[in-house]
Amino acid sequence: MPPRLRCPASASLTASISRSAVSSRPAMLAIASTSSTRSYATSLSSKSSLGGLRLPDDYVPPTKPPTARPPEVRKAQLLRTYTSLLRSTPLILVFQHNNLTALEWAAVRRELRLALAAISSNPDDALVTADVKLQIIRTRIFDVALKIVEFFDPSSVAPVKSGSNKNRVYNHDLSKAAYKAIKSVSEEPEKVADTAYGQLSPLMVGPLAVLTFPAVSPAHLAAALSILAPQAPAFPAPSRKKSPGYYDPTVQNALQKLLLVGGRIEGKVFDVDGVRWVGGIEGGLDSLRAQLVYLLQSAGLGLTSALEGASKSLWLTMESRRSVLEEESKPAEAAAEPDGEKKE
Amino acid sequence: MISRFLTEVNTKFNPFSKQAKAARLFLTFLPPNARATGINIQTTLLPRQSTEPSMLYLKFKDGKEMNIDCEKMGIKSIIEEVDRHSRVLQKQADLTDS
Repeated sequence: MPPRLRCPASASLTASISRSAVSSRPAMLAIASTSSTRSYATSLSSKSSLGGLRLPDDYVPPTKPPTARPPEVRKAQLLRTYTSLLRSTPLILVFQHNNLTALEWAAVRRELRLALAAISSNPDDALVTADVKLQIIRTRIFDVALKIVEFFDPSSVAPVKSGSNKNRVYNHDLSKAAYKAIKSVSEEPEKVADTAYGQLSPLMVGPLAVLTFPAVSPAHLAAALSILAPQAPAFPAPSRKKSPGYYDPTVQNALQKLLLVGGRIEGKVFDVDGVRWVGGIEGGLDSLRAQLVYLLQSAGLGLTSALEGASKSLWLTMESRRSVLEEESKPAEAAAEPDGEKKE
Repeated sequence: MISRFLTEVNTKFNPFSKQAKAARLFLTFLPPNARATGINIQTTLLPRQSTEPSMLYLKFKDGKEMNIDCEKMGIKSIIEEVDRHSRVLQKQADLTDS
């Protein structure tokens, strides 16, 4: 069996975390240097805590020392990363990756970046391009995150009355309430099957990578598909002349091992054909909106003309009837007038 | 898994069915340079509504073909099955070498 590499889940989030970690390091050092204020259970020298019979707020139990793992690889942090990713990202493609090497990942990401940069001419597109990320995920944790996003409603959690802090609400994704919510759901498998999680959960098998877009933009999706999962007529691979790097053996090897298995677009689950269909929408969402507006406008035109038509035809018949009556009355008048003259 | 003696791997599965797990996991057991070492790997994804059973077809260097039923077997038993034949081939190769 080949060795498996565990890669950090998200380059961007890792970067942001490390940035924040760097910024908070002086503060951490300051705390460490004045560690006499922090009370460990073994060092009972601090007299203040004995007198009050209340543990200080920064008490660290000896059985649960602060973790030494870097924050970006902690499971708790990963779970929070994934839930926020799922809540904020409308367009996610799921890939299965079969033993890609680090070099191949770098090459694929490079080609993806180049292809996306080619279509981002206006600033809006460039904003989307900047946040398109291809990242490896921890499948089981992502599965749990999907469950939390689907079944846990943070606003429904009741505040906790007991304790020194009245009315505290513990509704974060690592809370007991979240755990209970997903636990109660997993006991009823027949209910789960219809939900988005139920449809997506069979995909969560084996090594996975997700491609996330910050907005539903068919143009970007099409560009990404033509790199990662090219298909001849609709999403052709870039030509050899335009992007010679794409025909690098490293990239080609990598693409053979990447397998698009599905996607989640605006909360709905799509298979490969569905994803390609979304990518094939020409002109993006704006053109769809324009089509809708045109449809509504033309429907309105038809309606007004249909409503108008009845009154118009009525008016026409009345008008023709009037003209007929006038025609009829004229000769009668003409015939009556000489009679009157005769009478007079 | 011993993948030295494989020449052809054909898989077909619907990723939205639970039974596709074994076929998908089998693909992850092939080494990174599998295609370069002469294994012909083909994967067909079925559409979401299809109820066709997932398929795994293997061909070895000595010409033996295996059609593995992915619906019933787990990944462990599939690998056991493949290795059973691969070990025979390995033994033969070792004997002819020395």
